[in-house]
Amino acid sequence: MNIIPTIGMETHVELKTNSKMFCRCHVLDTESPNESLCPTCLGLPGSLPVPNKKAIEFITLLALSTNCSITNDGMFHRKNYFYPDLPKNYQISQFDLPVGTEGSLEIVVDGEFGTVEIERVHMEEDTGKSTHIGSGRIDSATSTHLDFNRAGIPLVEVVTKPLIKSSKEAVAYIEELRQLVIDLDISEGKLEKGNLRFDANISVAHEGDKELGTKVEIKNMNSLKSLEKAIEYEISRQTKMLIAEENIIQETRHWDEKKEVTSSMRSKEGSADYRYFSDPDIPNMILSNDFVNEIKKIIPELPSQKRKMFIETGLSIEDANNLGKNKNWIGDLYRSITKITGDSKSSFNWVTGELQGQLRKLEIKDLPNWVTPKNLSEIILLVKEDKISFTSGKEILANLIEQEIVPEEFASENNLIQENNIEEISKIVEEVIENNSEVLERIANGEEKLIGFLVGQIIKISKGQVNPSVAKELLLKEISS
Amino acid sequence: MSNYKLPISKINQLFKNKELKPSELYAETFERAAITESIIHGHLELFQEENLKKALNSDKRYEKGKNLGTLDGIPIAIKDNINISGYATTCSSKMLSNYISPYDATVITRLKNEGALFTGKTNLDEFAMGSSTENSAFGPTKNPWDSSRVPGGSSGGSAAVVSAGSAIASLGSDTGGSIRQPASFCGVVGFKPTYGTVSRFGLVAFASSLDQIGPITNHVEDARLIFNSMKGHDPRDATSLIESKAKQPKLKNAKIGIIKELMEDGISEDAKKEVHKVAKLLEAEGHEIIEVSLPLTKMSISIYYLIAPAECSANLSRFDGVRYGNRVSGSTSSEMMELTRANGFGPEVKKRILLGTYALSAGYYDAYYGQALKARAMMKKEFTDIYEDVDYLISPTTPSDPFKFGEKSDNQLEMYMSDLCTIPANLVGMPAISIPTGLSSQGLPLSVQIMSPSNTDNTLLDFSESLESLVAFTEEPVINGVVS
Amino acid sequence: MADKIDIKNVAKLASIKLNQEEEDRLKNDLSMIIEHFDALSKMDLPDDKISIHPLGMSLNLAEDIASKSLTHKEALSNAPESKDGQFVVPPSLD
Ligand SMILES: [Zn+2]
Repeated sequence: MNIIPTIGMETHVELKTNSKMFCRCHVLDTESPNESLCPTCLGLPGSLPVPNKKAIEFITLLALSTNCSITNDGMFHRKNYFYPDLPKNYQISQFDLPVGTEGSLEIVVDGEFGTVEIERVHMEEDTGKSTHIGSGRIDSATSTHLDFNRAGIPLVEVVTKPLIKSSKEAVAYIEELRQLVIDLDISEGKLEKGNLRFDANISVAHEGDKELGTKVEIKNMNSLKSLEKAIEYEISRQTKMLIAEENIIQETRHWDEKKEVTSSMRSKEGSADYRYFSDPDIPNMILSNDFVNEIKKIIPELPSQKRKMFIETGLSIEDANNLGKNKNWIGDLYRSITKITGDSKSSFNWVTGELQGQLRKLEIKDLPNWVTPKNLSEIILLVKEDKISFTSGKEILANLIEQEIVPEEFASENNLIQENNIEEISKIVEEVIENNSEVLERIANGEEKLIGFLVGQIIKISKGQVNPSVAKELLLKEISS
Repeated sequence: MSNYKLPISKINQLFKNKELKPSELYAETFERAAITESIIHGHLELFQEENLKKALNSDKRYEKGKNLGTLDGIPIAIKDNINISGYATTCSSKMLSNYISPYDATVITRLKNEGALFTGKTNLDEFAMGSSTENSAFGPTKNPWDSSRVPGGSSGGSAAVVSAGSAIASLGSDTGGSIRQPASFCGVVGFKPTYGTVSRFGLVAFASSLDQIGPITNHVEDARLIFNSMKGHDPRDATSLIESKAKQPKLKNAKIGIIKELMEDGISEDAKKEVHKVAKLLEAEGHEIIEVSLPLTKMSISIYYLIAPAECSANLSRFDGVRYGNRVSGSTSSEMMELTRANGFGPEVKKRILLGTYALSAGYYDAYYGQALKARAMMKKEFTDIYEDVDYLISPTTPSDPFKFGEKSDNQLEMYMSDLCTIPANLVGMPAISIPTGLSSQGLPLSVQIMSPSNTDNTLLDFSESLESLVAFTEEPVINGVVS
Repeated sequence: MADKIDIKNVAKLASIKLNQEEEDRLKNDLSMIIEHFDALSKMDLPDDKISIHPLGMSLNLAEDIASKSLTHKEALSNAPESKDGQFVVPPSLD
């Protein structure tokens, strides 16, 4: 019988507000510890939380963009647990009335569409940062140092339903969520900076089983690569256990990046009892329909919408998805160019491949203002119509980025226009055949790769102006006759 | 009568007329403290030296005729659970005995802007949990009327220093009667405003949905003056109200309800007599007195002792020895926190934290905390409905006159019952004031409590002022053989 | 219900180390109080939407304008132990 894995993702998205969630301390990107603190985020006696309006707008944007229902009469709760990096020893979070519920997100896996069901989207605050001092291993630390700059930064937690079926789907989901928060402009979306942090809940069961298997939570995956590897490792670990009829325990496991295994974390005594109750410092949060409608108005074009539009221009799902991962101006440029060229695939290749490659090589961030959809399309069309070679197209593009030129004029001035006149080319072909009788003999004896050598000769004589495919065709015709 | 028993408006007049200087009054207050404090122990810390300069600055302002407000130069004592920047905020707890606050509570900022001076920080039951100041880690405060008796609590220090004359007025905090009950025990005025009218920012939280800062004064007009200097929306407190209009109760020919449930078993004859006495006086003034029934009032102790401990169990989690407080070392941080909290908190605080933790824990939430929330909502409705009919409600402030040290400390439920009359105002959010009206058969102060609908604070104070002049209570305690 | 108080677990949740004497006394005290709650917990009360705030007010959110509050020195001024600008605690384990 088949064994089926089930995955649920919990992702924390750090919002890019100016001030923290419940106080007005700057959200700082700094290495110096404990620089941005006030009585509230340091949990001093007598301090009080006041929620950040911008953060509430941001989470509403995200909830709406993931097709969630908005809770109009929501509230904040206290989640109680003791840990030194948690200044109040409770985290202000949301329990039974989160901002968004029952949503979904379209994803792309292996060039096909998929859907991830979202269970909830809720608002909470970040903790401080612990550094364990000692021999490097967490369990042999001699002391812990605490920096609270991060404490109180707004986090949105996005929880999926346990319906994800593979590591690929999980990775595609995180990629999609990341792109979404970047396009919504509500988070930096940088995984390496911890702007997105994710845990995976994984279980396995026999196909057809009514209940899910025992859930194991995996933490400490810092990249998409480690997410993929950790999920695959964990599925295979649990599958082996299920086959061997071993008991899978509900626990939290830690992904070890170096060893590429998950290992059991020191388990807390008994199961956690967070004693959630509504935070008496914060009145009920009413998100009126007017407020929600105002937020709806400012939703930008979403990744799924961009994808749809790119597909309509003729791109494959995969290409459309990849194009959407670029900066918005790349997508816009593609749209304008493909309109002129009428060729989505080569427009896509030129924009995402050649153009971006050149810009990266030259370390240019913004496109020079003389580089327009019009002159870029001109290059693409020259290549497409065989007027110039692909290599010449790249050369023209490189020149265009450096200075304002007209591609076709540049091609003529630099003798890049290909000779497509068959009479002219035939003359050169005849000349090459005459001068290479020895080579022809070897071709006749089976050394077919020497045909390439002869084509090279033709191009050399023509000073590069002959279309190689035409030359080859004529050459073969001459030889066989 | 000495200057420190005059109404603040009178003192302000003396300042303006240059008949008295703020620095002279300040000195007089500390002279009085020198006599009374050794017996009363109302202040945990006196700011005498540090604030003398401020008193002299106030002198100069009056000389130039440029005083900041009516409170300019008035020495006010502050309960030691309200933060003043640069001074200790101990909450009468061993946990915070060395804690120096780096910021001002909003009420402190507002009083400073008015030019008020601070005499120092006053004693309280640890973290405001108690009704006698016996729970202070730094020793109890004594009742100025009889030093063998408690001053009430938790704002026992704040009530005692006003009664004893070592401050013109004081600030207390009231979660279940912590301003009104000690004010009653010490024979002074105590006012708990409508929840949300005075900012809680900088008040060390006990139970956030119940806590409210208010004044303790010799005169109702002083309470009004201080209340109006402190009140108003504070953007740093999300529960702070934005000016709202409410239908005001009548000042003349008002209808006043005596709460039946607060005149039954457990209320002393003296206390009942006082209410009837006041009712007669009011009737003679043309007010109508009726008896009203608010059945859920009987449940208020249970509701309160679920909600307040539940909130406090989380509010006091921050005292863990990580960022401040008296740390007890341990081999791991979790051991350090457990030992720090074991050592830093007194027995009553531990009991309430554990009670609240239990009430919120898995499997018990619905039966206890959830049920208390529902009952609180019902109780609020009962009061709202009654106010459709009456303008004010009246009851004793305390079930009896001040009790002796140790008398109730072994019987927790009896101790908790001493807040029976005051708790409903906190649960409902409405304003309530305690006004001294007479002496018990033992010669100790007794008060009545007047309550009115939420957001009618100033009308309640106006009404109370007229009642104050009707009862004309002028008795004062004798301390160390010196009458004030 | 009262005899079911698992005082050890409650103390653990509250992060307070109790000695045996305290455990016994608190268990007894809490049981008494909880018994007193019986009448309330047995009441039949409507399941209305509860507002935690006594006046049922709604929330005013703060504008996202950052401002400086405590200095680094002030933030650490009450620290029982600090080093290199950080608060120091005994090792914290997950
Ligand atoms: Zn802050």
